[in-house]
Amino acid sequence: MKNIKLEFSALALLALAVIITVLACKRDLEDLEPATFPTTPEVFIDGFSEGLNYGAFGGSKVTAFDVDTEVKYRGAASMKFAVPDAGDPQGAYAGGAYFTSVGRDLSGYDAITFWAKASKSASIDVVGFGNDFGESKFLTTLRDVKVNTNWQKYIIPIPDPSKLKQEKGMFFYSEGPENELGYTFWIDELKFEKLGTIAHPRPVILDGQDQVLSPETGQQLTIGGLKVTFNMPSGIDQSVDAAPSYFAFSSSNPSVASVSDKGVVTVLDAGDAVITAKLGGADAAGSLTLTSTGQAVGPTSPAPPPTVNADSVISLFSNVYNNVNVDTWNTRWQFSTAEDFDVKIAGDDVKRYRNLNFVGIEFASQPIDATAMTHFHLDIWTPDPTDLPKAFKVLLVDFGANGVFGGNDDSSHELSFTRPTLVSNQWVSLDIPLSNFTGLVNRAHLAQLVLSGDLPNVYVDNVYFYNAGTVAPSGPTVAAPTPTNNPADVISVFSDAYTNIPGTDFNPNWGQATQVTQVPVAGNNTLRYSGLNYQGTQFGSNLDVSAMTHLHLDVWTNNSTALNVYLISPGPVETPVALTVPTSGWSSINIPLSQFSPVALNNLIQFKFDGNGDVYLDNLYFYKTGSSPTEPATAAPTPSYNAADVISVFSDTYTNITGTDLNPNWGQATQVTQAPVSGNNTLIYTGLNYQGIQLGSNQNLSGYTYLHLDFWSATSTSLKVFLISPGPAETPYTLTVPTSGWTSIDIPLTEFTPVVDLSNVFQFKFEGNGKIYLDNILFRK
Amino acid sequence: MKLHHSILIKSALLLVVLSCALWHCKDDDNAIVERNYQLVWEDDFSGPAGQAPDAAKWAYDIGIGPGNDGWGNQELQYYTDRPENAALDGLGNLAITARSESYGGRGFTSARLNTKGIFTQAYGRFEARIKMPWGPGIWPAFWMLGANIDQTPWPQCGEIDIMEYRGQQPNVIHGSVHGPGYSGGAAITKSFDLVNDRFDVDFHVFAVEWGEDYIDYYVDDTLYQRLRPESIPGEWVFDQPFFIILNVAVGGNFVGFPTPQTPFPQTMLVDYVKIYKEAI
Repeated sequence: MKNIKLEFSALALLALAVIITVLACKRDLEDLEPATFPTTPEVFIDGFSEGLNYGAFGGSKVTAFDVDTEVKYRGAASMKFAVPDAGDPQGAYAGGAYFTSVGRDLSGYDAITFWAKASKSASIDVVGFGNDFGESKFLTTLRDVKVNTNWQKYIIPIPDPSKLKQEKGMFFYSEGPENELGYTFWIDELKFEKLGTIAHPRPVILDGQDQVLSPETGQQLTIGGLKVTFNMPSGIDQSVDAAPSYFAFSSSNPSVASVSDKGVVTVLDAGDAVITAKLGGADAAGSLTLTSTGQAVGPTSPAPPPTVNADSVISLFSNVYNNVNVDTWNTRWQFSTAEDFDVKIAGDDVKRYRNLNFVGIEFASQPIDATAMTHFHLDIWTPDPTDLPKAFKVLLVDFGANGVFGGNDDSSHELSFTRPTLVSNQWVSLDIPLSNFTGLVNRAHLAQLVLSGDLPNVYVDNVYFYNAGTVAPSGPTVAAPTPTNNPADVISVFSDAYTNIPGTDFNPNWGQATQVTQVPVAGNNTLRYSGLNYQGTQFGSNLDVSAMTHLHLDVWTNNSTALNVYLISPGPVETPVALTVPTSGWSSINIPLSQFSPVALNNLIQFKFDGNGDVYLDNLYFYKTGSSPTEPATAAPTPSYNAADVISVFSDTYTNITGTDLNPNWGQATQVTQAPVSGNNTLIYTGLNYQGIQLGSNQNLSGYTYLHLDFWSATSTSLKVFLISPGPAETPYTLTVPTSGWTSIDIPLTEFTPVVDLSNVFQFKFEGNGKIYLDNILFRK
Repeated sequence: MKLHHSILIKSALLLVVLSCALWHCKDDDNAIVERNYQLVWEDDFSGPAGQAPDAAKWAYDIGIGPGNDGWGNQELQYYTDRPENAALDGLGNLAITARSESYGGRGFTSARLNTKGIFTQAYGRFEARIKMPWGPGIWPAFWMLGANIDQTPWPQCGEIDIMEYRGQQPNVIHGSVHGPGYSGGAAITKSFDLVNDRFDVDFHVFAVEWGEDYIDYYVDDTLYQRLRPESIPGEWVFDQPFFIILNVAVGGNFVGFPTPQTPFPQTMLVDYVKIYKEAI
């Protein structure tokens, strides 16, 4: 039974404490320093041979080895090894090495031999020599040594005796419990011998396989599977694991790939090379044929660092967060050709996949509960072409309540990403709402992530789940400014201020990661793009905006660092215009349509935005200028009524009644300003919802015939004026908007009767929308 | 035709007993005797690699034996005359190669060459320089049968085994005689143990020197067995011409089955065969 897997280089370190105590009680080295190295063959006959030390391996039961004078094969004593039971608190296995402080010349021998028996039939995991608790340059290991209750002779051949001119590692062993039960084995008459009856060394590298790889420049590959098979005196073949230093490695093309004495291949350039080896002059079976693809293409800058608060994140892989346990980043499932590499990009750890057709990433031993999470994030970078229909796919698998694969409670869903989400040679951040994984019924036992698609080379970073709710950036608190363009000059896609074209799809599935919502901001419907990578808008029907001159949009973002808007005509023909982000509050942008050349303005089909961050948009519309000024170019016409026949509320021409409050606080949203238009003071309502005027004193309009006013609006589509008498008693009168220039109107006061008491009028009110210019508000006879 | 050839059954125990018994019978009778020999027949196997051995000197035994019983020994191979199984190696050797392949209903192929009807001789020195194959279940031999075997069935015709070898004992060879009353497992045998060396890593010379009242067995220059009529428990039938056989068997009663660890192909290399007659 193999219960213990040992890595001797690691064990050597772990065992240092044990060795030091052993070293402390030996004689000074100076006494033992010989001019030539002894050829002593004995290791343990009836006791430790000259200069022999023992060190137990780290983690082993250090008392496992003892000298036994009762049970022995021959002579006075044997070596006894008490293998502990599983779970022995003093150590999980028996293991240690016998070494000398002065090397021995063993080149005249061809094997180390010993007699062994055990308290029961068992298979000793490893025995060998060459472990000197240091470099262990000529480590030689015989595995799975069958022992039983009879003394039997065992032989460990020396792969190439000529190498052992100064060997310190005399013997080592390691054995764990058999079926969790400890037992005892004995070794006696342990010595090096020249048997002469060990023949036909057949060295192999790579377990004798002829491997073919396509590495790239800079890659290092360690030649493993180093063994030598000998024909033993029994005529039976027996193999030992042999350290790389026994072998002479060579490269057929050292300018493409070099190979070190330790069998480490370093790929230096594009081209072909074959790595082979010899042992003691004999060709080793097995080879490594390399077709180097040269320098790898990869990102030069790290992925954008995540900004999500760590409290809201379950991270699988990121330098920014503490990562949860991931069993493997490459399950090497059947038919998967993916190779994974841990690489650093400017100091940032990145997973690199090569020859990716699909790769399983598994965290089944500690499944992830992402029920509190809203999104899955990963950053990818590929040098491969990303033209359609090339796709990158993300599959999440939940193992269900039973926490294991199968059992009819598993669920999964795969999402596919294509251009334009996929972009070659730049980091692409995927922020995928978990709700998009519609087939992933549960996410309390997420156990696998599978990446696949048509991109053989993918770098992956910042793989994590997060809850966007706790990290939603604060959005605008005020509505976008109400547009002022004359509706007659507007083709609106998204605005509360205009009639929008019908049938627009604001979230067509183009494979984007962006999350689209429409949210009210101060009562004004606003389009929000969260986690923008790109986002399309599909018009209900093709738009002819050739008569328009500008695209208008209002943008608000506090975290976007890149934002482009595209117009798209069939082809697709598309042209981006970069917008300045982040914004400081709402940014109203008017882009001359000529900047979108060569897009066919008479046949638009789509909008698109790309960039990053969270972006609020409003008042997406096309308009034309020139014919439709956004403000009056001239003053309102100067009235010419006899002043004696006029009660003036707001006019430069007459004396206005005093004490009038032009902006009483009735809870309205309307902004009220006064501004000169061509030198004439004008009352301006911006973003009108309603607006009152509190007269300085109650007015008896008996004997007056008309309410006169001049108004101008390019943007309003609704405007009413009310007279109000206490009660309040009020009646509206509808005004025609938008206007074409100033409209002067004389409204018969009878329009407001009988509801309004004309003898006691004390307030005006306007209701409607848009931006209104008012002047010469007066009553006349 | 009748029973063609030998049964070499012998228990390991018997072998050990015999070996020990013979090992200790060191007496003056074992002294090497210098004899004046003249070469009368030889093949040094020179020729291009892949060429068949000289048809003027060698014939083949083909198949699985006349009794369809693995040549009387439950051997597993099918003997062919193909160059894959017997050919010159281009370096001056005959290569008899046992292969693991399905052929003629058997799992292995090999070759068995003889000089029956081509060259026979009574008495003289019969030697070959050979490098052994190896691995459990491999059974090469250099041996002789009485030329009258077709008229006088084995074991009455006599058998002189100059060299037999088990792949699982690469440092041991065996020299034997079979005759009436002492054949198969009761053959007269002695083993020779090469100390700190094996027969499959270098060439060694295996020989018998045979006269009217002796057969001396040699490995290289070491005489390790001398048989005389009085040391045989039956009739001394070694008084007529014998022919020579070279073969590599796979499996069989003498050697046991090959194991999964037995490497194939396995080749016995024969540098030369030389037959001498004692000069008058």
